[in-house]
Amino acid sequence: MTQTSTVQASPEAPVKKARTGRRRPASSSRARTSPTLSILMTLMLLYAVVPLLWLVINSTKTNGGLFNSFGLWFADDFALGENLTKLFSYQGGIYSNWLLNTVLYAGVGGIGATILATLGGYGLAKFSFPGRKWVLAGVIGAMTVPLTALAVPTFLMFSRLGLVNTAWAVIIPALASPFGLYLMYVYSQDSVPESLLEAARLDGASELRTFLSVSLRLLTPGFITVLLFTVVATWNNYFLPLIMLTDPKLYPLTVGLNQWSAQAGSSGASEPVYNLVLTGSLVAIVPLIIVFLFLQRYWQSGLAAGAVKQ
Amino acid sequence: MRITRARGAAVTAAALTLTLTLAACSGGSDGGSSDGGGGGDVTAADIDAALDAEGTTTLQYWSWVPNLQPTVDLWNEAHPNIQVELTNAGQSADQYTKLQNAIKAGSGAPDLAQIEYFALPQFALGESLVSLDDVGLSDLESDFTASAWEQVAAGDGHYAFPQDTGPMVMFYRADILERLGVEAPTTWDEFLTVARAIKADNPENFIASIDPGDAGGVDSLIWQAEGRPFSVEGTDVNISFGDEGTQKFAELWDTLISEQLVDVAGGWNDAFWRSLDSGRYAMWMTGAWAPGSLETNIPSTAGSWKAATMPVWEAGTPANAENGGSGTAVLAKSENKAAALAFARWLSTDSEAVQAQVDAGLFPSTSSIMADTDFLGATSDFFGGQAVNEVFVQASKDVSSGWQYLPFQVYANSVFGDTAGQAFSNATPIADGLTAWQDQITTYGNGQGFKVTND
Repeated sequence: MTQTSTVQASPEAPVKKARTGRRRPASSSRARTSPTLSILMTLMLLYAVVPLLWLVINSTKTNGGLFNSFGLWFADDFALGENLTKLFSYQGGIYSNWLLNTVLYAGVGGIGATILATLGGYGLAKFSFPGRKWVLAGVIGAMTVPLTALAVPTFLMFSRLGLVNTAWAVIIPALASPFGLYLMYVYSQDSVPESLLEAARLDGASELRTFLSVSLRLLTPGFITVLLFTVVATWNNYFLPLIMLTDPKLYPLTVGLNQWSAQAGSSGASEPVYNLVLTGSLVAIVPLIIVFLFLQRYWQSGLAAGAVKQ
Repeated sequence: MRITRARGAAVTAAALTLTLTLAACSGGSDGGSSDGGGGGDVTAADIDAALDAEGTTTLQYWSWVPNLQPTVDLWNEAHPNIQVELTNAGQSADQYTKLQNAIKAGSGAPDLAQIEYFALPQFALGESLVSLDDVGLSDLESDFTASAWEQVAAGDGHYAFPQDTGPMVMFYRADILERLGVEAPTTWDEFLTVARAIKADNPENFIASIDPGDAGGVDSLIWQAEGRPFSVEGTDVNISFGDEGTQKFAELWDTLISEQLVDVAGGWNDAFWRSLDSGRYAMWMTGAWAPGSLETNIPSTAGSWKAATMPVWEAGTPANAENGGSGTAVLAKSENKAAALAFARWLSTDSEAVQAQVDAGLFPSTSSIMADTDFLGATSDFFGGQAVNEVFVQASKDVSSGWQYLPFQVYANSVFGDTAGQAFSNATPIADGLTAWQDQITTYGNGQGFKVTND
């Protein structure tokens, strides 16, 4: 029961916001059109779309065709079907493994990280306890350390624990998202009114109940935003899985595709499969695009959160 | 097998820097055996005994040679008691980072690993590998080409079974040279003349390209000019690009670059293959392992190519160099050293195994196949019916001796592009660029506990 109401309640508000948001720039642009701005935006659009277009076009070429046809147009033979078939059968169909691994790592890691970030951020924002400032300072400090710098120490630690070359070696580090936690902290502060919590407490709801049925609903846009961030971050993570995993069957797409690409760039017995690297890259971004299309509106309202103090 | 991507190396350089230091710290303590090479308790008899041992041993083997599985399958079928599991743990520098990490961590390292010749001294010096001399396999020397055996040497031992080699070969577009009415150059003087002819014909075209990020390619050209910038004796290292051979190389390429006869551009990328495809480049000077890549990436140029030995510095005095190639090393910490040595020996010396790897595209390291008439006589349609192996074998025989790699060559290669590579890119004197490279790797070597001189 509570779940259905969540689903109905939350899309409502963001959709409205998105609509009003769209209307305003439209009317103002009718008032005065700036050619400079239009050109600038067109350039930005090209900047964003051309690489994608290139990827789509070149996924349709054979390996030889890649090097003797114009980059931004199709070659004589249209080999997308062949490429796709070969993509999923090359080296015993290992690409499917990589795809599933990536979904697993990004799914479990992303959802886990988001839950932890929400719990932590909410706790820091809504409860006052000794050492809270220090925890917060620690989290902000952690945001400045790049994951790459931690990769080798993490490797040595995981090696002691015997977790190297297992899925856990990629999932566990992905569970910590200082940025997500900080975002949820800011979001909780702004979007969960203290008075609402007071009311819930007066009605006799436990803290857990208050969190689950009152606060969490208000936090949904923030939750989805953090979820997108962490899923995308884990989906694209390269360096950590690169040093943690040695078994190609455990690789995510990033490391696997790079291995194929490197294989094409080395030689000897090499079998260049640039065409499969490209087709593989195209297939690899499709799930992310789908996720974005579905969660976009939450993402927008989540990004705007905190911009205006109510 | 060889890799030329500076990209991967640069990313992993940071991680490797850290792990190298760590390995150097712990290197002394884990050498339990008195001989220092590790694994001295195994003898040649133990290796033969391992072949008939009861029970099943499983070996972990890291290699990124594509299409190697069929060769490993041959072994696994014939030896049910020693099963080899092949893992591609990453290409070149990626794998070395992992290997170094695993050695440092004390777990997760394989029993055997493919290691390129340039990276071998680093692992050998860390006492991470079994020396073939310590286990009574020094007599294998006669099975391999002289240059292959020399390249697995480090310090006082031989630390890997040579698997493949890459003698430098000049691949050229016969159709282009024919159209211009010039012969394929046999000396560097002729090379310069042909280069100018190509430029005069069309200013857009080049005789060849040079990759300012590829230390290995430049090393090979210096080696081929009889330059010997690196020498290593234990922890005493000498780095000097001032020798005559290196200077000869630097002067010629200064001319080639200043007259824009060669294109200074990265290899292995889209533009590179397009240039080879369109005839913008007339040549590719690289290891004998290249035909596979040419055939797959630019199939439309089939029939126009020819292979020849490298241009020499003095007519009638053949001299060549290696580019790439790797060996199979057994890890000192392996618990199945005897079985691992048995497999590695088979992989590099058994005629059936060698043939399987040649079929997969490797250029071999064994002397027997180099004399094999079937091997020598094989013709290639891509090269217009030329018996290219004859050229490659001659190129292999011409390789001059005495070249050494640094025990921190992986790092040195990763900073080549930022130092020496800049001289190529900016058309400033190459000798100055090499000095900058020399300074940086000297500082690094000293920081790693080596005694580096520049004599």
